[in-house]
Amino acid sequence: MSKNNLILYAAILVFGLAAPFIFPAFKVQLSILCVLIVLAITWNIQGGEMGYNSFGNILFYGLGMYLCASVQVGMFFPLAEWTESGGEKTFVHTPAQFFQGMAVGLVVAAVVPTIVAGLIGYSILGLRGHYFAICTLGLGVAAGEISGGIEIIGAGQGFTTPPFPNIGSLEARGEFFYFLSFFTLILTFIAVRSIYSTRFKLILNAIRDNEDKAEAMGIETMKYKIIGWMISAFFCGLAGGIMGGLVGYIDSTDVAFDGREMGVFMVLMAILGGKGTLWGPIIGATVFHIFKEGFWTFFLGWQYVALGVLIIVIVIYFPEGIMGWLREKYPERFGEVVDEKDRKAQVELK
Amino acid sequence: MKLTRIILSFISAVAILFSMSATSFAKVVGDKIVLGAAVSLTGKYSSNGVHTQNGYNMAVDRINSMGGVKVGGKTYKFEIIYYDDESNPKRAAQLAERLISQDGVEFMLGPYSSGLTKAMAPVTEKYGVPMVEANGASRSLFTKGYKYLFAVLAPANLYLDVAIKTAVELNGGKGVKVAMAFEQDAFSQDVRLGILDAIKETGSTKVIDDKLPKELNDMAATLVKVKQMKPDVLVVSGHTKGALTAIRQIAEMKVDVPMLAMTHCDAAKLSKQHGKNSQYALCASQWHKTLTYKDDFFKDGMTYDADFNKMFGYAPPYQAAESSAALLVFKDAFERANSFDQKKVRDALAATDMQTFYGNIKFAPGGQNVSKPMVLFQVMCDAAGKCENKVVAPLKWASAKLIHPVPKWSER
Repeated sequence: MSKNNLILYAAILVFGLAAPFIFPAFKVQLSILCVLIVLAITWNIQGGEMGYNSFGNILFYGLGMYLCASVQVGMFFPLAEWTESGGEKTFVHTPAQFFQGMAVGLVVAAVVPTIVAGLIGYSILGLRGHYFAICTLGLGVAAGEISGGIEIIGAGQGFTTPPFPNIGSLEARGEFFYFLSFFTLILTFIAVRSIYSTRFKLILNAIRDNEDKAEAMGIETMKYKIIGWMISAFFCGLAGGIMGGLVGYIDSTDVAFDGREMGVFMVLMAILGGKGTLWGPIIGATVFHIFKEGFWTFFLGWQYVALGVLIIVIVIYFPEGIMGWLREKYPERFGEVVDEKDRKAQVELK
Repeated sequence: MKLTRIILSFISAVAILFSMSATSFAKVVGDKIVLGAAVSLTGKYSSNGVHTQNGYNMAVDRINSMGGVKVGGKTYKFEIIYYDDESNPKRAAQLAERLISQDGVEFMLGPYSSGLTKAMAPVTEKYGVPMVEANGASRSLFTKGYKYLFAVLAPANLYLDVAIKTAVELNGGKGVKVAMAFEQDAFSQDVRLGILDAIKETGSTKVIDDKLPKELNDMAATLVKVKQMKPDVLVVSGHTKGALTAIRQIAEMKVDVPMLAMTHCDAAKLSKQHGKNSQYALCASQWHKTLTYKDDFFKDGMTYDADFNKMFGYAPPYQAAESSAALLVFKDAFERANSFDQKKVRDALAATDMQTFYGNIKFAPGGQNVSKPMVLFQVMCDAAGKCENKVVAPLKWASAKLIHPVPKWSER
């Protein structure tokens, strides 16, 4: 790792650790930002590196959310009574129960979606192009409808996750969820970054560029596609589990399997930042989140129109995303040697 | 690597942005009491979200123009900060957090729908912010032990059980066959539970129990089943869109059923939008303009109806009326607490016992309003095709007699 990189990472780490204290009122938004970045980074493994536009990652996110909350409740209380609407009993987690439940819940929320990804991957990853995109779109919708009919997790009533225990100050909840999501983000980043430095990334790129050729070269593409999806599922599940606790209320189609918002947002963020790059999804998610929050404050009632305009602008002016645009504008900063004549010639050709 | 510099400058830009936007209001500024509210201005609940907002605004206007709120010998005026929750619980929870921790709001008004209220209540509860809500009726809101949540409306399970009981009564006390179609959302599912209780109690049977998707715009499959099974009562609940869809498709498919019971008929302006097709529909309502409750601000239901019509150009559905009532409750509590201390205001709210144009308000320990019954009205049309909602139950306020069974389509 070069010295410059070290400085960068240290700066981000310090900023990340200090952020909830510098901007105490924005803890929730910052936590959500971390979750969004995790989703964008993991989507990029499929959409960016592998060339498989997945709308199905929301499945793992929602699964993680329900699993984490169910485990957290189910470990200590009867789950059916907790979610029952007319129930007269009130259950309260002690702080120890809350954190133990959360810890076990997050492990389950990460592991089960990974297994699910492995299982369904065999059939679904055989599809390519539009067929894959449409099939995965269906996954999220189906999961939302199915979970909306399962009584034990609240069905259409929704699922209120355990309230944060009363420990110390009012800020404890915000800080807890912020650091949880921030460390998940770091974990995701380190994992993905180290994966990208191996042959694995080259294989994913080979699949993206020409899957048949890659197979002809002796790469077991199916195996790598599934592994890639399982990695995404692991972190998406984790992100979902955290988000469930953060929001405090799980609704089948509006919060958990929220393909219409989160499912689309993760794609948008990765594309906005520049898919197929490590930093693109991170920058994309940050810019997107800031714009989104800004629109919500200043264009009340018109925020989706503003967001729509933003998307159109991105597609027209930054088809390669922010990173792609920067790379084209300042190629030398990305360590590319540019021959001016050659560049001009290329521009004219375009 | 120069990339580092780009990213570092980007981070600092983000930091600056964040710190710039950190403006903060206080709960009571000068002579203003600032209330926070997230309502659905967009998304699937947008029409009811607007009714809610109009109800709030109307009451703010009225209370402010009639002298405001007197606390500690000083007069204060209400002001509301609104956000759009997009009919999305995730967003609603975030906005509650934002209203409290960023905007410094110390008193909240509820959003529209049970699901969104469920998402916001844990947040307001955590910060000890009293929330008077007018549109979250799901029973599970009141069994979580919330101390700072107060609902001016009757809980959801009471919406339509009267209809089942009436049907049984008209059937000579024998059980009836009930067909149910409910949207997959917190409110409608709770109405369903209320119906299930009523079925059990009266020895009736359920013949259809369908769950319908959100943003309900097709229920043909259920209606085909209804044609086959010939139930005595068809119960439908799915907010405004559910009511509109049900009426449209029942008329299209000419489905004959002796009793059709629904929610949200007045919010959907059924009698106006579907005219004669909506005739005979039986609707659960929290309020009706002909009820005889009174208060000093809106006088009575008829006056409220007229004033609202003048201000917003349409007849107020009960969602607007109950929202207005929420502010009357707040005003009353502030004055009795004679303080802006959240705990004191909370205790004053808990001790509320008053009459408003919308009904009597007195909170049970769980936070629900226990002193106001639901009413049932039926859409009735005259020969000229002009349709109106007439109260048919409870008998105390009934202005018309229930028409039962509903005439067949072939005889209309």
